[in-house]
Amino acid sequence: MSGQLPTAMVLGAWVATGLTLLIFSFLYKDNPLFKVGEHLYVGVSVGYSVVLTYYTVFNRLLSVPLSKEIAEKPMAPGSYVLLIPALLGLLMWARFFPKIAWLSRISFAFVVGFGSGVAIPRTISSYILKQIEDTVNPLITLLNGGLSFSMNFAVPQSGINTIILVIGVTSVLFYFFFSIEHTGPANAVARTGIFFLMIAFGAAFGYTVMSRMSLLIGRFDDLIAYSSKDFGYPTIILLGLIIFGLWYWQRHNIDKPEGNS
Amino acid sequence: MIFFRRQLPLIITFLMGAMFALQYYIPHPVSEGAITAVSNWMQIITGFAMILGIASLFHVHFLKIKRQVPGWGYSLILYLGMIITMIVGFASHGDTTIDGGQTMFGWIYDYTMVPLQATMFSILAFFIASAAYRAFRARSREAAVLLSAAVVVMMGRVPLGQFLLPFTWDITQWLLNVVNSAVRRAILIGVSMGAVALSIKIILGIERSYLGGGKDH
Amino acid sequence: MISIDRRIIFLLIALATLLPLLHPFGLPIKVSPEVQVIYDYIENLPEGSVFLLSFDFDPSSKPELEPQAIALLRHAFRKNLRVIGMTHWLPGTALADSIFSRVAAETGKKPGKDYVFLGWSPGAGSLIISMGQDLYKAFPTDYYKNPTKGMPVLEGVRNLRDVNYLISLAAGSAGIEMWYVFGKDKYRFEMGGGSTGVIAPGLYPFLRSGQINGLIGGLQGAAEYETLIARNGTAIAGMDAQSATHMVIIILVLLCNLFYFILRNEKEGPM
Repeated sequence: MSGQLPTAMVLGAWVATGLTLLIFSFLYKDNPLFKVGEHLYVGVSVGYSVVLTYYTVFNRLLSVPLSKEIAEKPMAPGSYVLLIPALLGLLMWARFFPKIAWLSRISFAFVVGFGSGVAIPRTISSYILKQIEDTVNPLITLLNGGLSFSMNFAVPQSGINTIILVIGVTSVLFYFFFSIEHTGPANAVARTGIFFLMIAFGAAFGYTVMSRMSLLIGRFDDLIAYSSKDFGYPTIILLGLIIFGLWYWQRHNIDKPEGNS
Repeated sequence: MIFFRRQLPLIITFLMGAMFALQYYIPHPVSEGAITAVSNWMQIITGFAMILGIASLFHVHFLKIKRQVPGWGYSLILYLGMIITMIVGFASHGDTTIDGGQTMFGWIYDYTMVPLQATMFSILAFFIASAAYRAFRARSREAAVLLSAAVVVMMGRVPLGQFLLPFTWDITQWLLNVVNSAVRRAILIGVSMGAVALSIKIILGIERSYLGGGKDH
Repeated sequence: MISIDRRIIFLLIALATLLPLLHPFGLPIKVSPEVQVIYDYIENLPEGSVFLLSFDFDPSSKPELEPQAIALLRHAFRKNLRVIGMTHWLPGTALADSIFSRVAAETGKKPGKDYVFLGWSPGAGSLIISMGQDLYKAFPTDYYKNPTKGMPVLEGVRNLRDVNYLISLAAGSAGIEMWYVFGKDKYRFEMGGGSTGVIAPGLYPFLRSGQINGLIGGLQGAAEYETLIARNGTAIAGMDAQSATHMVIIILVLLCNLFYFILRNEKEGPM
């Protein structure tokens, strides 16, 4: 980078690097430095959430449209309709007062009833019917005037893969069906299901490793970027300070790392 | 009074649930108007509900500071972080940028919240490696299958693995698109049936744990 | 099993991540069919088509999903699509805004005219239904408090039915599945997905059934997309470190099993 960086950016780099290393200090041991970072994370996140919720919900979705409607058509009942969700929202807060906590049930009933109602047809359509539809693909297709059964493993919709898919779906569904005992032929089906499950979990583990490593790569990218002269070498200096801090804490045993949050 | 505490919420749940389950199949303008309005109301009510969780956190840590329990200093740090962010946020009117420039609120977000949140989850990378060494043993046939699939996918999804053993790419694609899809599909169908059953139980008033807020439900 | 202090394993992982970032070896990236489909779909969209990008993640998934977002936005802006941005994840709002603004500025696009960032709104499924019915009721203003009604970029867009293509970049719940269930199922827009590696395997049933037309999975997926748009970014730069860390984990797993079998045979041997 060339040229002087803004002070806010340089200060930000030092703060970001310091906080990153505070959290990484947990890799040595649970320690006060990590706890400071952990509690600060929760505090700042909650503060951010409160501010954004206020401006998005109470301001943008409620008070601004409501006051606009009332200003334009003060006598029309429809202008006051947003008072209904406002009232329901306030009823939710009745939970804080034991004597009138039961009022919050009306709001929860409204929300949960709506949520359950909209979910039923959409869940059936998207998660059940559509998934079953794709499971029962045709095995034999018409190709060049003749019938054809594809043995191409590389194409997911091929005949052979459709058979494997059907076996997989039915055997895994059967494995989770505990109303009958898994003995004899049922045991063979259940064991097939377990085989499929193990492969899927192995693939999931492989992807999880990839995902977690990516997160670490991202942090190291930032630490490398902030280790430059333009920022005043915060990574190196703060790393040294944190190592010293951990050594000092370890040696003098200032605080015992018992869980307390 | 019992009617308002007990029956009324259940009646509301039933009416809302039945109405909006049927709404999906009724394209009439009145039906569409109803869902337009109510879905907008839900956005507002959800905002109020979020404050419930936040208030609870405020309360728990306030008590820790007040009673000076061991570790109350950390609760104080949490509180300070919260209060300062809120003060700065309201002073900036909730804006993280203004005319292309960053506000103080934006600075706090970029240089404290982002690195803290990103780093908190990135340390899992170290623990997953440690756990893989300590616990990932082929004790049985099933474990061996799981292990082999994991190794093939880890090889097949990175350039070095594709370079050293090109066939791992093709096997990974097949594992994900066929075997993994089959398993996930079965789990999805099963879980969804359970979710639909639960939703029906809620609408019919058989399942009432969501009500809370008192003894009599 | 031969015990190794876990801090030595941590150090190995740290070195395997750091060294390739400082000295990359640059292996080629192979593109998977599920990523190619998304690229081809955007490539074939006519100029002026409405593209909605939902940044359904927070800073904890930034390393995986930010490169995907940047690559997709660069592609969309290059194709002169009308881009709408939003997020279901409150903690990710300012991050989404900064990604959007940065890429828009680098491509010379103007807010309100070429793109709009709507910001965050609560509700998840209810929000999607609200957008599907009336976009302006769901988002009366954009993130910068400008009224959405009358914005040139939203001309002709009343609700989700008027969106030509939607991609949700998801790190978990309130993401791709929710967009399909509450969105595409009724409002019939085409959609694709980008996700973290953790949830990617769970999305393959939707890919196979055509509920989503493509899937960009994790940092590898982002690297594939950067390859397709011929614009190297942080994803391609990170793939060497990804390769190295995977090899370390594989070696650790193989070592663990080698020690396990040797010790097990020793125990069983004299009997």
